Amino acid sequence: MVTTSSGTQMLDYLGLSELFTPEEREIQRSSRRFLDDVALPYIGQWWEEGSFPTHLIRRFGEMGFLGPTIPAEYGGAGVSSAAYGLIAYELERVDSGLRSFCSVQSSLVMYPIYAFGSEEQKREYLPKLATGELVGCFGLTEPDGGSDPDGNMKTRARKDGDGYVLTGTKMWITNGNLAHIAIVWAKDDGGVVRGFIVPTDTPGFKANEVRHKASLRASVTSELVLEDVRVPASAVLPGVKGLKGPLSCLTQARFGIAWGALGALEAVYTEALAFSQTRTTFGKPIGSRQLVQEKLVRMLSDHTKGLLVAWRLAQLKDAGKLRPQQVSLGKRDNVRAALNAARSAREILGGSGITLEYHSIRHMLNLETVDTYEGTHDIHTLILGRDITGLNALE
Amino acid sequence: MKFVAVIRQVPDSESRLKIDAGRVDLSSATLILDQMDEYAVEEVIRLQEKHGGESVIVALGPERFEEAVRTALAMGADRAIHLVQEGYLDPITQAEALAEALRAEAPDVVLTGGQQADWDSQALGPAIAEALGWPVVTWTTALELEDGQARAKHDLDEGAEVVRVSLPAVFTTQQGLNEPRYPTLPGIMKAKKKEIRKIPISAASKVEVLEQSIQERSRLGKVLDGTKDPHAAASELIRLLHEEAKVI
Ligand SMILES: Cc1cc2nc3c(=O)[nH]c(=O)nc-3n(C[C@H](O)[C@H](O)[C@H](O)COP(=O)(O)OP(=O)(O)OC[C@H]3O[C@@H](n4cnc5c(N)ncnc54)[C@H](O)[C@@H]3O)c2cc1C
Repeated sequence: MVTTSSGTQMLDYLGLSELFTPEEREIQRSSRRFLDDVALPYIGQWWEEGSFPTHLIRRFGEMGFLGPTIPAEYGGAGVSSAAYGLIAYELERVDSGLRSFCSVQSSLVMYPIYAFGSEEQKREYLPKLATGELVGCFGLTEPDGGSDPDGNMKTRARKDGDGYVLTGTKMWITNGNLAHIAIVWAKDDGGVVRGFIVPTDTPGFKANEVRHKASLRASVTSELVLEDVRVPASAVLPGVKGLKGPLSCLTQARFGIAWGALGALEAVYTEALAFSQTRTTFGKPIGSRQLVQEKLVRMLSDHTKGLLVAWRLAQLKDAGKLRPQQVSLGKRDNVRAALNAARSAREILGGSGITLEYHSIRHMLNLETVDTYEGTHDIHTLILGRDITGLNALE
Repeated sequence: MKFVAVIRQVPDSESRLKIDAGRVDLSSATLILDQMDEYAVEEVIRLQEKHGGESVIVALGPERFEEAVRTALAMGADRAIHLVQEGYLDPITQAEALAEALRAEAPDVVLTGGQQADWDSQALGPAIAEALGWPVVTWTTALELEDGQARAKHDLDEGAEVVRVSLPAVFTTQQGLNEPRYPTLPGIMKAKKKEIRKIPISAASKVEVLEQSIQERSRLGKVLDGTKDPHAAASELIRLLHEEAKVI
């Protein structure tokens, strides 16, 4: 039983780490040590400056954080889904922005190339994406709205001779200005959604960074503008047609988010717990008050249940039995639990809680994005509602 | 050439340990590769990278040590030998058992932690050297091999010296010897397939542990409010440091 994190030990009230394999435990410990050394001491500053630590991209590659579940022959580490989840957990314990970088690279860029790409595409891109030599981004959302990607997709891929000409605008694209390649989803002449690997130095491609964010500041978010971007036929992902292409990528990323959010939850809980034990009012530590204990217990309880859900999703995923709706449940509940915990932690910290000296407010603000992207909380509610009632409230 | 790191598994220094019936209870502790031994593992890997040959991990301890052995293999060592025995063995007895395995391996260099994180013992390295009849250099901060000999810098009580020593030899580590690498995901996955040869042993400890206790270090949690009357708070702080803590 571990009621708080210490050293490389994760918060683990029910001893769930006994369910992990020795390799998964080792990956968790090693990731935490690495991130505690290279990222945690500096993250407040990066966030405040609004900068992503690009010098860590290659280090993430060396550690094997990029495309970890991809087989070794394509440069991945071939680890289990739980190991992938634990990496997301450790990254997001530091900051949702770092986890977002790796989620996009692994689940939204490497996964579609691995799952839907040609053998040449896999050999050309995956090894370089795994080392961090290349960075990718994923362009699905458009300015008119992300929740209804099919209805709102205006980006078009017009057939032109041997290749395609892409035109349109993508919005809120993580890693947009860092990326060497963009996975762009666009409708072809027949109105069918297709995926394209677009080198970002192709004429007509432009990325504009989104500024003035009050959330996910240690992450690059961009608008992508495609004006007559000409790509060869070999840029199309041949293995998939229709919205299930991008949606299956999102299922991968959402799975990681269900784990990652719990890392943020651990961070804010641990900070609030420590603070409550030393902060004294009216002659007693605030941790001795029922109101404060109730908040701490709710955080611990949500973390514990969330970890069980995340672990089970990993088992289902490796067994090939995972349904996207089950991932919606994990993403929806774990992220909202983490967001609520961050708000409570911020409250327990009092005035100190509003500064970046502490981690809670940064996590709180980041988690507003995490609650919104990859399907908003409410959209996942409607996905689950449709699943259990058979009645569609989404459309 | 062959390079061996002798390692142990210890509780993470930040683990909160409990005493149960006069014995340290490790059930809620995170157990890790001793960080002083980690320098040894890093050094044998570097020696192998530079001089070729083989890097081997040798451990003596209970079955649970395997996780620490895997960590060392995940960092990059080639294979491991695990002498398995449950329960406490004093360092001299450990060294005798280890010496037998080491003699069979016939390495050029043996490295082990300068001090053990759990029992604070510094005996194991010198005891291994004694049992093998090999020279020992303690608290090593730099190690170079040249012409079948080693040139090592090591810490003394209040200084350092550089020595030349014939091989084979035993070296114990000191902080600063190197910067251990993090086990990477590919390294961890490769380690899964590396050989760990398990050899059950039954050595008789010359020292028997009768009872254990942990030094309690607790804070008094005394907080002075300096916001209302800073002068009075400062005087009170001086009084407490002088009369109660007796530090000034
Ligand atoms: C920092 C950040 C990074 C991002 N990174 C990426 C990326 O890398 N790639 C990418 O493609 N996208 C990315 N996104 C986009 C993200 O996925 C979308 O913001 C999200 O899907 C919501 O879309 P929207 O912002 O257009 O809101 P909308 O879809 O316009 O929704 C607005 C509100 O209406 C609600 N709503 C919508 N439809 C319904 C309905 N039928 N019933 C009830 N309520 C409804 C929503 O829940 C929401 O509260 C990112 C977003 C952010 C903020």
